[in-house]
Amino acid sequence: MEQPSPARATLLPGILGVAAATVYLILILSVESQTGIALLLAGGAVVILAAAKLGALESMRRSFLVSERRMDLVVVAALLLLTAFFYEDHFILLMVATVMTYMVAALGLTVQFGYAGVLNFAGAAFFGIGCYTAAVLTKNTALPHLLVLLAGGLMAALIGALLLLPVLRTRGHYSAVITIAFTLLFKTFLEVNDVLGGPQGLRVDGMRLFGWEFNSNIELGEDLELSFFVNYVLGALVLLAFAFAFVRRLERSWAGLNMDAVRLDETAAACFGYNVARWKITAFMIGNFLAGTAGALYAMMLGFIAPTNFTFGDSLILVSIVLLGGIGNPWGLAVATTIVIVLPEKLQIIQEYRFLLYATLVILILLFRPLGLLPRPLRSYFPGWQSR
Amino acid sequence: MDAGLLSQYVMNGLMLGMMYALVAVGFTLFFGVLDVINFSHGDVLMVGAFTGLATYIGLSELGVAWPVLQVGAVVLAATVCMALLGALIARYLVLPLKSAPALNTLLITLMLGTVLRESIRLFYPEGANPKPFPALLPTDAYRIGNFNLRVDNLLMLLAGLLVIVGVHLVINRTKLGLAIRAVAQDEETAKTMGINFTLIVLVTFAIGSALAAFAGIMNGLYYNEINFGTGLLLGVIGFSSAIIGGLGNIYGAILGGFIFATLQTLGAVALPFASAYKDVFAFGVVILIMAWRPTGLIGEKVSERV
Amino acid sequence: MRRRALTYAVTLAALAAFGVLPQAGEAKEKVKVGFIGPLSGGTSSNGLGGRNSADLAVQLRNADANAKYEYELVVLDDECKPDKGVQAATKIASDKDVIAAATHYCSAVAIATVDVYNRFGLPVIVWGAVLPDITYGNDYKEVHRVNGTMINQNETAAKFMTGLGYKNWAVIHDTTDYGKGHNKYFSQYVTENGGKILGTFGVTSDQQDFTAELTKIKSLEPEVIYFGGLTPIGVRVRAQMEKLGVDALFEGTSGIVSDTFIEGTGDLAEGIVAFREGAPTETLPGGQFFMEQYEKQGYAEPSEAYGPFAFTAMNLILDTIEAVGPDRKEVRNALNATQGHDSIVGEVSFDDHGQNSVAVITKYVIQDGKWTVWEDSEYAAGTRKLKGM
Repeated sequence: MEQPSPARATLLPGILGVAAATVYLILILSVESQTGIALLLAGGAVVILAAAKLGALESMRRSFLVSERRMDLVVVAALLLLTAFFYEDHFILLMVATVMTYMVAALGLTVQFGYAGVLNFAGAAFFGIGCYTAAVLTKNTALPHLLVLLAGGLMAALIGALLLLPVLRTRGHYSAVITIAFTLLFKTFLEVNDVLGGPQGLRVDGMRLFGWEFNSNIELGEDLELSFFVNYVLGALVLLAFAFAFVRRLERSWAGLNMDAVRLDETAAACFGYNVARWKITAFMIGNFLAGTAGALYAMMLGFIAPTNFTFGDSLILVSIVLLGGIGNPWGLAVATTIVIVLPEKLQIIQEYRFLLYATLVILILLFRPLGLLPRPLRSYFPGWQSR
Repeated sequence: MDAGLLSQYVMNGLMLGMMYALVAVGFTLFFGVLDVINFSHGDVLMVGAFTGLATYIGLSELGVAWPVLQVGAVVLAATVCMALLGALIARYLVLPLKSAPALNTLLITLMLGTVLRESIRLFYPEGANPKPFPALLPTDAYRIGNFNLRVDNLLMLLAGLLVIVGVHLVINRTKLGLAIRAVAQDEETAKTMGINFTLIVLVTFAIGSALAAFAGIMNGLYYNEINFGTGLLLGVIGFSSAIIGGLGNIYGAILGGFIFATLQTLGAVALPFASAYKDVFAFGVVILIMAWRPTGLIGEKVSERV
Repeated sequence: MRRRALTYAVTLAALAAFGVLPQAGEAKEKVKVGFIGPLSGGTSSNGLGGRNSADLAVQLRNADANAKYEYELVVLDDECKPDKGVQAATKIASDKDVIAAATHYCSAVAIATVDVYNRFGLPVIVWGAVLPDITYGNDYKEVHRVNGTMINQNETAAKFMTGLGYKNWAVIHDTTDYGKGHNKYFSQYVTENGGKILGTFGVTSDQQDFTAELTKIKSLEPEVIYFGGLTPIGVRVRAQMEKLGVDALFEGTSGIVSDTFIEGTGDLAEGIVAFREGAPTETLPGGQFFMEQYEKQGYAEPSEAYGPFAFTAMNLILDTIEAVGPDRKEVRNALNATQGHDSIVGEVSFDDHGQNSVAVITKYVIQDGKWTVWEDSEYAAGTRKLKGM
């Protein structure tokens, strides 16, 4: 058993890594020209390979493992800095907020799939349920918008409960087809009836928190006007922080242990007296709740939702994100979400090809590196305690 | 409802059922042989249809105008090419993942399906638009009261029936079929008996994909149109049908295909003003059936080594 | 450790240099204008025609030595889907350098994006969408339209068809606001003119199988099937009508007036009628000029029915920017005050809702695989007969 290294020394590589990543992100987001972006991407790849060779990536990983709480704060600070840098730019802030809401939904999927092994190809449908709940509630009721967010999550969890019986009674590919059928059903249902707007979609009111309108630009003094998307970025950041912290705690808790047992070998777990059904249900509901809440915030930010936002292709994107990042690893999720959402926007040529690209990437990952970009590390109960 | 209208609905249901049955048989064959769900099957169907279209266009350029030759060439080209594609998929994507969790194979085939779909959309000339499919079969129609009996529909039904009977004969009366059934029952014992496992797997995938190509051409001839998105829905429907009938059971798959088509037609009859609800209805029933009988109506015999 | 930090720093600095690419000094100030239309999908021929026409306007203006600014056209695809349209609209509207834009062919998209343009204050001119609510359903100062609305189209259609002697209809319409709008106005005018609607059927805009609707319609035995939707499903409905032996005349709207429709239906296209606002391109005041210039630029796709309107919209934007400068608010106010402005489609005047009035409605019939103006066709002369006559 090694002695845990002094905390401060291990923080430094982590802080430097986050700082470098932030600068890189700022560059990529600001540069418009395609050649510039291509060069940045190539340069980034080179830097990462060099860092891996030099062992810098390893020391960064160590600092995340050892002092996770402090690294979380560092990352939050970096995100705030990023937001401050782009305080005027509507579209970039919209992208940042989108990445964050997608991450929350992907975290939900991670709980279902990465921890409990429940396949869910209806991620976009539950996200959509959250969106539509928000649309209907903001328009027809005076419910405070914080509660609307919660309602979105609850609605998604409730409707997901309808699928529980079939999902529990089936295994593997059978439960996959149930969630796929549900996604198709959901989209068709939205399109054919007019109550929820039909194919024309629904308008959603912007978020209002304690009288503060999220949809109006923030004016600080004479010349400084912040884009109104800053509100949403901050809101998404808060939501993401909660979701992230929750998922991490879940993993480290006895609940997470149980879920892992169920995922790894259902029959053995049942033999040992684990209530397999209960853990699958818990994971499924939690995951859908997160997806629904993220959806509610997304709808209020976008102001408009339509059934074509929530197709099977979008569910596949969420699944790709979870797989690419490394099943069960929330930090990998961050990297994967950023890549999947920001890259096609910046690199216009691949905008057309993005589904093709993701699918090919996932195929390659499944063939050659099934654990994803950042594989989930082994559980460690004492920070810094490296297992042999 | 008068007899003519009823017959029209029945005819529509039969056509759809035939197409779904062909796709479902493919799924069931793959599952029986390798215990895998190949989600790219629906998109292989779509690629088959496009191959057929391309063949037709090529033939027209060459000046071939004889309909029988055209139909023959189109079907031949589509089935042979898709058989090859199926074998390739098996060889490079499914067999390497044999020892990985079944989930990985499902995901990889799902992604492959997306790759196929997007490739056609992006690389086939104007692939994103629906493309008219030529009417290669005689289009004469006989009016029997309110019922419009079209010769091409009849021909397609007959052809589909022949194909299904042919598959049944191959599986049950030939040595190849015997080998396939052996591998489906017990892989290790089959290998011990001298059966070339890899070859049989490739052949099974080839057969299944050829069936899909045939269904794709039928789809094109029936709707006079193909588009890059049809594969996904047909794949899910085919899979649902195979499941209803019980995975691994060919007759179950055929039954499942016709059951699904019946569900859809019932939904359409009940609500002609919003026929899109028929899909909602059909999928809803599928979910219910799976909740009630998780391994299908004609159950799958599952034994698992723990 | 220090070496590693240095490597990082140098690499990043080198990369940062690329973010500040030197801009060659230009004599004229660059101004960005936008264009959004369906560049992919079943209605892409209209979108591409519109894009080419807008591009033509920009090219001609940039070639003009007297222009004060140099224009760059930013083109985005809305795929004829409301959510993609909103994304594209948000992207263009949130870009502060884009001063104004010509937007949308699909009504379903245009009605969804009006809020976005208002939110970001981007003045836009619609060039192809016909749903009245786009301009009349709101009080947004940013939204204008050069082409007509579906109200006139359907009024003329109803009068014309009842005038020919047709008495009963079945209506198939898509469930977007576009289809629903067509259904509402056509049904209203047909009943006013003495016709009868035997049944109304709503279908989704990407529906494949119409056997359920058409079988029911067959039992109702209407003389005409009115189709309120776009080309992709129009093609399918016509093909399946033939398969099921439905013997009725197919009547469409501006949504099917495209070459793609004729390509898709082949021989079945003969004798189909449709209506569109605006005169055929050749007979427009500036039609010849437009067609010559379009030929000269050598675009791969034809300008299609709404090309001239896209050209007009873009030209109007460019004229306004030349007059008041590249400022969104100024351009918006100037556009609101536009009266009697000359253009290739005639005089453009915006009413208090930003709507231009287009008086002429052209009636079309497909004859020998081409969209022919009714008055010039053999059907009007009596040598050929429409179904049911």
